[in-house]
Amino acid sequence: MSAPRQLPFGIRFATLLRLLAVQGAWNYETLMGNGIAFAMEPGLRLLPGGTDGAPFRAAMARHASYFNAHPYLAGLAVGALLRAELDGEDVTRIERFRTACCGPLGSVGDRLVWAGWLPACSLVALGVFSAGAAPLTVVLTFVVLYNLGHLGLRLWGLEAGYRNGLRVANSLGNPLFRKGPAAVARVAALTAGVVWPLAVRGVVGPARSWLVFVLAAAAAGAFVVTRLQGRVEGWRVAIAGLAGLILYSVVR
Amino acid sequence: MAVDLFRIDDRLIHGQVVVGWGQPLDLAFFVLVDDAVAASDWEQELYRMGVPPEMELHVRSVEQAAADLAGFQARPDHGMLLTADIGTMRRLADLAPIPRVHVGGIHHRVGRNPKLRYVFLTEDEEIALRALAAKGIEVTAQDVPSAASLSLDTLLASTGDG
Amino acid sequence: MIELFPLTMLGALLGLDVVSFPQAMISRPIVSATLAGALAGAPGRGVIAGAVLELFALETLPFGASRYPEWGSAGVVGGAIFALHPDGTTGALAVAVLASLLTAVVSGWSMIQHRRAIGRWAAGMRDALASGEQGAVATLQLRGMTMDLLRGGLVTFGALALFVPLSRVVLSVWSLAPAPSRAVVVALAGATALGAVWKIVHATAGARWYLLGGFLLGLSLLGIT
Repeated sequence: MSAPRQLPFGIRFATLLRLLAVQGAWNYETLMGNGIAFAMEPGLRLLPGGTDGAPFRAAMARHASYFNAHPYLAGLAVGALLRAELDGEDVTRIERFRTACCGPLGSVGDRLVWAGWLPACSLVALGVFSAGAAPLTVVLTFVVLYNLGHLGLRLWGLEAGYRNGLRVANSLGNPLFRKGPAAVARVAALTAGVVWPLAVRGVVGPARSWLVFVLAAAAAGAFVVTRLQGRVEGWRVAIAGLAGLILYSVVR
Repeated sequence: MAVDLFRIDDRLIHGQVVVGWGQPLDLAFFVLVDDAVAASDWEQELYRMGVPPEMELHVRSVEQAAADLAGFQARPDHGMLLTADIGTMRRLADLAPIPRVHVGGIHHRVGRNPKLRYVFLTEDEEIALRALAAKGIEVTAQDVPSAASLSLDTLLASTGDG
Repeated sequence: MIELFPLTMLGALLGLDVVSFPQAMISRPIVSATLAGALAGAPGRGVIAGAVLELFALETLPFGASRYPEWGSAGVVGGAIFALHPDGTTGALAVAVLASLLTAVVSGWSMIQHRRAIGRWAAGMRDALASGEQGAVATLQLRGMTMDLLRGGLVTFGALALFVPLSRVVLSVWSLAPAPSRAVVVALAGATALGAVWKIVHATAGARWYLLGGFLLGLSLLGIT
């Protein structure tokens, strides 16, 4: 059989909705495997014999096994795998593809989203906060801006995956993924530079007269954290520091 | 030494490796050692897409990696060598000097027992890790740089609670 | 008085957002703490706590399999505690931020237990999953999400029940002056954020110059405004 050129709207919509829950049964054995089968299920109903057919059951079992990727790019794999299943691709090739696309989809997504878009949007929201905007404006700025990228990526991934099938490396060759992370990192760096001192001032409150000292101490602390090359995390140090501060203030 | 890290991770190139290790440690290149991937153009193309343009990816079979390792070690920048399984790392260690290996991710499969959140091993794989250590290679387990590096004894004594 | 029920519901929903559904990052503290502050009647204080916690959260890259703090429920706890104490309460931010960070740790741990529980349920359904039964996949998925919702709610409820009265006790005997009390919290948050940004961007060609250029611009804006 061969797959329809485009999935029916109802199936695309259901798949997209289920992709929002792709990590709903994340566990240390199959990681997001169950979520991949859950997202593919509406499309797999198109296989010969429908939900009672052997192809459907075999495909569901195959796709509920171990899989990992960035959740926002999982749609690219889901689209590609749906296309391959509906095209009747060789099972060995489908399984090799599943194995091979996990890492790259994780790596590209982590760089573009977790290490790019998310901190960039977070910094923009901190900038809006520093400019004295109302709390609702700060929240809406972050939620709307971030989710334009988030939902856009999910939607694009499913469409591009289904369109390209197992030739999905073409989609990952898109300049958005090759050059996007570096561009977003530069924007995040510039935004961070501008926003950091302003955000510190925005929350410094009664220590306003100590602002220069606070900025210098924070910069020195950041230097130490970065010199330790990922072996120390600032938030863990902060727990110890704040516990010490509170204890000192209470018992002295 | 240019190849600072020798990692066993069945996901090969992925976010923890490229972002989690690559960014804080300034890694400039990855050497992916896998006979099947080295023989498959489309798989290589996929893995290449997982590596940012400013980092290099070199795909080698075990024999090629053993021959080229000295060249990678002579580089002035830093890199990581990856295999998807213990057997591949062990074969490489038979052919080339490897000072240390960390297990970064071996996931669940039928027959494997849970050791850590990110490590599941069969009894044969436990024996293979012991064999690597017996060659004088320091074997540890660590998923990300900020996590504790666990010794082989600790890893093998664990029962999935770590 | 603090309304535990709506805050618990908010913590449950935002805890679910972290991983399970829909990962729209409404669980980030800039959102979660602000919403909690609004529910507690002081959105202005909620957003201040949210901004400080967001500076810490910049360090957290939620790689799927690694261990990380859970900010959804934790942001609700931090925002609510800071909002609960009136403006000018010395030490309130330090106490709220520590309560939030500790909640994030416990909540992160609870996520790991939740993932293990899903693994056990999956093992119990192995035959059904391996034979491709239509309902098995959906059952596991919905069960995981429902339990995650409960997990976030329980963590939020437990943390508020513990830290709200504790914060009142601690702040009633707080002895440090306002300036150092606030300065330490902000310096720790600022250090974490700047270190995190550097770790993320320094490997990108030219990004460090963008950071430096932005910093000079930020400092000049600081002088102007």
